[in-house]
Amino acid sequence: MKIAAIALNTFREAVRDRILYTILVFAMLLIGASVVLATLSIGQEGKIVKDLGLASGSLFGTFIAIFLGIGLVSKEIERRTLYAIVAKPIYRFQFLLGKYIGLTLTLLLTVGVMALLVAGLAWAVDGHWTPGLLLAAALDFLALMIVTAVAILFSTFSTPTLSAMFTLAVFVIGRLSGDLRLFAEQFAGPGLRQVVEGMYLILPDLSRFQIGSQVVHGLPVAPAGVLAAATYGLAYVLVLLLVAIGIFERRDFK
Amino acid sequence: MSRALLHPSRIPFLALALAFGLLFGAVVPLQRRAPALGGAGLEDRVLLLPPAAALRVASLGFHGTAADAVWLLTIQYIGGHLGSDRRFSELKRLVETVVVLDPHFVDAYTLGALFLSYSAGDIAGSIALLERGVRANPTRWEIPHDLARTYYLDLKDYRKALHWFEVTDRLPGRPHYVPRFVARLYAATGERETALELWRAMRESATSDWVREIAEREIAKLEGNRAGAKDAPAR
Repeated sequence: MKIAAIALNTFREAVRDRILYTILVFAMLLIGASVVLATLSIGQEGKIVKDLGLASGSLFGTFIAIFLGIGLVSKEIERRTLYAIVAKPIYRFQFLLGKYIGLTLTLLLTVGVMALLVAGLAWAVDGHWTPGLLLAAALDFLALMIVTAVAILFSTFSTPTLSAMFTLAVFVIGRLSGDLRLFAEQFAGPGLRQVVEGMYLILPDLSRFQIGSQVVHGLPVAPAGVLAAATYGLAYVLVLLLVAIGIFERRDFK
Repeated sequence: MSRALLHPSRIPFLALALAFGLLFGAVVPLQRRAPALGGAGLEDRVLLLPPAAALRVASLGFHGTAADAVWLLTIQYIGGHLGSDRRFSELKRLVETVVVLDPHFVDAYTLGALFLSYSAGDIAGSIALLERGVRANPTRWEIPHDLARTYYLDLKDYRKALHWFEVTDRLPGRPHYVPRFVARLYAATGERETALELWRAMRESATSDWVREIAEREIAKLEGNRAGAKDAPAR
């Protein structure tokens, strides 16, 4: 109940934030511009609208996750509202979980709006629905849940600027981890290969959530792969939140 | 300047008016007339395009979008050279970059191969590109179909054309005329009719004027020869 109240409050606060609307407007402009850009291709209108739409949703969703996520805890400390909250009969983990769920709900709303816009534009261009686009957006949302958890984790012990930089770095590594592992397998010596393999296993692999290419080209998407990605994503979020709770519980707010 | 003009309530209006004045009085005319210092013309953008492997990493997993951007550059490159010197020295590199970024981009293989054959005159490059496409997309009929067409029309290698038409025939969604072509190739007859039908099919399905133009040119050649020449056997 307490978690739900904090989540709802965080959601209300986030949807009033100007950053959210600025990013959302830019994303929608880019998605809309993809239709104009697509007319310059030779018969590739549908592909360009879908590719650019999914990429915009993922990229701008990440910006929202980072810019709102890093301020979730630090803003409360800055405004000194956290002191009033921790003095109340509420566990710190409830506060952190409520914050996380609130931001996740905000992301669900924004990513949902962008996904519906992309699906609608793709339908207008292709003349038929591509339901896979919604599945691709749903998997992207799972990746955003991880990015949000990373942002919250850093925001429990670091400044907003550093948290933003660290989260962005984790996002970049996460998007590239599949490629890095491949390069290491092909070119690195046994020692470096083991280091890369270790990093690959521990750091979030955000490339697991990318099924845009299959969806855009109408290729089959293996349900087992989607299920595995979803399980991996939720497990990873849980790990990050538990670490964040561990740090937050030990933090001294005197 | 009078104090009344710089009254705080007027400053926002003045600042906005000045900004618009500068935008349309200086920025827009300069952008229209002055050449970019970095040399951001089409040729420069093509020549300075990083290798496909680097683009794959730099695109942070947004490979489809990166492929689309290079594809749009390729279209501009083709259009620019079709309207000028008709030399396409960078076309192969551009198309290969697109398919490295997005190996399932079927039209990049087929259209790229078409322009490589009929605009750049690089039939070997066209075949290599299509064979790569078949390996990456074994369930798509379009690529083996175009390989068959290239072997049939450009190289007159009817044995290989038959092989690729047979591959096409086994794939879902293939055009209705493919079994007829396989039969004709087995019977070793009707080369010109088959060629005409292939080009007409391409003209009907063309999504751009450039492709339609190539098809119409080849149809005109074949129809022009029809009156004088007797239909030669296929093999």
